[in-house]
Amino acid sequence: MNLWQAFKMAFKSISMKKTRSFLTMLGIIIGVASVVIMVSVVQGQNRKNMEYFEKMGDNKISVSAYSYYDTNNETSQKLYDYCLSLSNLIAGITPNAEVGNKVIIQYGAKTLAVNDWENMGPNFDWNSMMHVKLGSDQFGVCNNYTLAGGREISYLDIEKTNSVCVLGAGAKEALFGYTDPVGETITLNGQPFLVLGYYEAMELYSDLDNIIVIPYTFNRSMNGNSTINSYVVKAKSAQATVEAMTRLDAFLGGMFPKNDQGYCENGDYQVYSDNSYAQNMKSQSNMQALVLGAIAGISLLVGGIGIMNIMLVTVTERTREIGIRKAIGAERKSIITQFLIEAAVICSIGGLIGIGIGCVGTLIAGKLLLQETSMLPSAFITVGAFLFSVVLGIIFGMYPAIKASGLQPVVALRAE
Amino acid sequence: MLIDIHDLYKIYNEGKESEVRALDGVSLQIDKGEFVAIVGQSGSGKSTLMNVLGCLDIPTYGDYYLNGTDVTALSDKELAHIRNREIGFIFQGYNLIQELDALENVTLPLIYQGVSVWEREDIAMEALAKVGMDSRAHHRPSEMSGGQQQRVAIARAIATHPNIIMADEPTGALDSKTGRHVLEILRDLYRSGTTILLITHDDGIASTAKRVVRLSDGKIIADHPQEVDWE
Repeated sequence: MNLWQAFKMAFKSISMKKTRSFLTMLGIIIGVASVVIMVSVVQGQNRKNMEYFEKMGDNKISVSAYSYYDTNNETSQKLYDYCLSLSNLIAGITPNAEVGNKVIIQYGAKTLAVNDWENMGPNFDWNSMMHVKLGSDQFGVCNNYTLAGGREISYLDIEKTNSVCVLGAGAKEALFGYTDPVGETITLNGQPFLVLGYYEAMELYSDLDNIIVIPYTFNRSMNGNSTINSYVVKAKSAQATVEAMTRLDAFLGGMFPKNDQGYCENGDYQVYSDNSYAQNMKSQSNMQALVLGAIAGISLLVGGIGIMNIMLVTVTERTREIGIRKAIGAERKSIITQFLIEAAVICSIGGLIGIGIGCVGTLIAGKLLLQETSMLPSAFITVGAFLFSVVLGIIFGMYPAIKASGLQPVVALRAE
Repeated sequence: MLIDIHDLYKIYNEGKESEVRALDGVSLQIDKGEFVAIVGQSGSGKSTLMNVLGCLDIPTYGDYYLNGTDVTALSDKELAHIRNREIGFIFQGYNLIQELDALENVTLPLIYQGVSVWEREDIAMEALAKVGMDSRAHHRPSEMSGGQQQRVAIARAIATHPNIIMADEPTGALDSKTGRHVLEILRDLYRSGTTILLITHDDGIASTAKRVVRLSDGKIIADHPQEVDWE
């Protein structure tokens, strides 16, 4: 008997017992589909997180420091100056601050309210709220924004506290729609601001785009007396990030010495980078993928055990048939081959259906959970899950086949 | 000498209290082209004898030479080969595979023999025609009467042109008219030179054979040729 015959016999046997074959497949279908969907969703989430951090800014260091006794911005100025002295390591520095008081932005008939705490209903959409950022001339570089038109705020604008601004894509769209805002004037609490330029959309989370950047020297007039004590420093490379962080830590450690109990008595400071955060996130989501993968793997295994069960029942059910086959001259090898192929074919079909359902499920899950329009599982997962299901089928098909073929023909024939 | 067994034993639960000697020192020689009926009551060991002779079972002790070959020394694979090429079985319960139609059932031993697709369909149809079942080639066993199923089983047994046909109560589940027809087919096979072993409990059926071997309690108690009137 050749392999082709064995294939035909296996197919015949599967098609003759549709319910049994379907039940066998069901385990594998569920197993493969759940592996594909779970792993794909976790991978998608992972990818999205990494994209977010990349847009947010690699090599971005957040530095903050406040002195309990400092009343005239001395600490802030010292920190700023020190950062500027690291010019061989850093590409830019900008305050990490925004206007916290209520601001009414107007252009023509359009009005946007910022921090209008009294008039926010319970259903207020926080993502849609604008943020008036206090930035330096390096705001765009530090925060990974790219100009879509016009220019950035200049050093001179900051020095002279010029009434100028740069719009994020969200703010530009809300106020100007599709017309060019450069050269137009908007008002912030009635004070006119000239629009110098606008940024391209980040397209990740809308609140990154809902910004209006004005020179940080407006801090005094717009935020009252509060000091700027937090900066974003953009390092030139991952290497430079580590170096700059070490230096900043040393510098601020000198400004705020710790006492015997390990506490600073005159202030506090923090130096941290998205790089390390991203690293953390990455290992965390790897962990997630591992756990989900394990759960999915178990469901595949359960599917495989289901196959083994059905195959064992099948052997008992078909012992007589095996007896007949042996009586008319089937070799042990032929029967093992037939059963193996049967198992492999059932698993392959089940695996293919599982992949199909997994792809559709991934698409739906991607749309619902991650707002991605066409998310599909990676080829690696798909092929891996498929191969796994076929190998399972062969392993679990092997035992019943060996049991079936080892019977004496007369014993098998007597079975009812 | 086609079949030569000497001092053959088949013992179940040997040495225990429940020991059963299904075959208790049987010696028998059958020549090529004989028509032998093995007769005995139920439990006499006749089916066990057929199973051992047909290589469906292995004896506990004793020698079995088939065509000069020591069968007891053969491997599983070689036994399968003998069952496939040397022997055709006809069972009381037909033993057709329910999922396959008549033609596919008859083709099965040819598949295991490695006959090519084109040839084996012709051979199988020819065998079916011999038993008058060619018109039912694509019917499943469940769509046929007992007599028709038995004829398909006979077609399967003869499709490989075996030297020996072993029929275990082939008429047992059939009415007398269909039974006579089945015996007629066996006689035709005998005339064409096939060795026939007919196992039955029925002396009437046994009277169709040229030689009768009588079994009781696993022992041969009589072995004699007989005159038959086949008209």
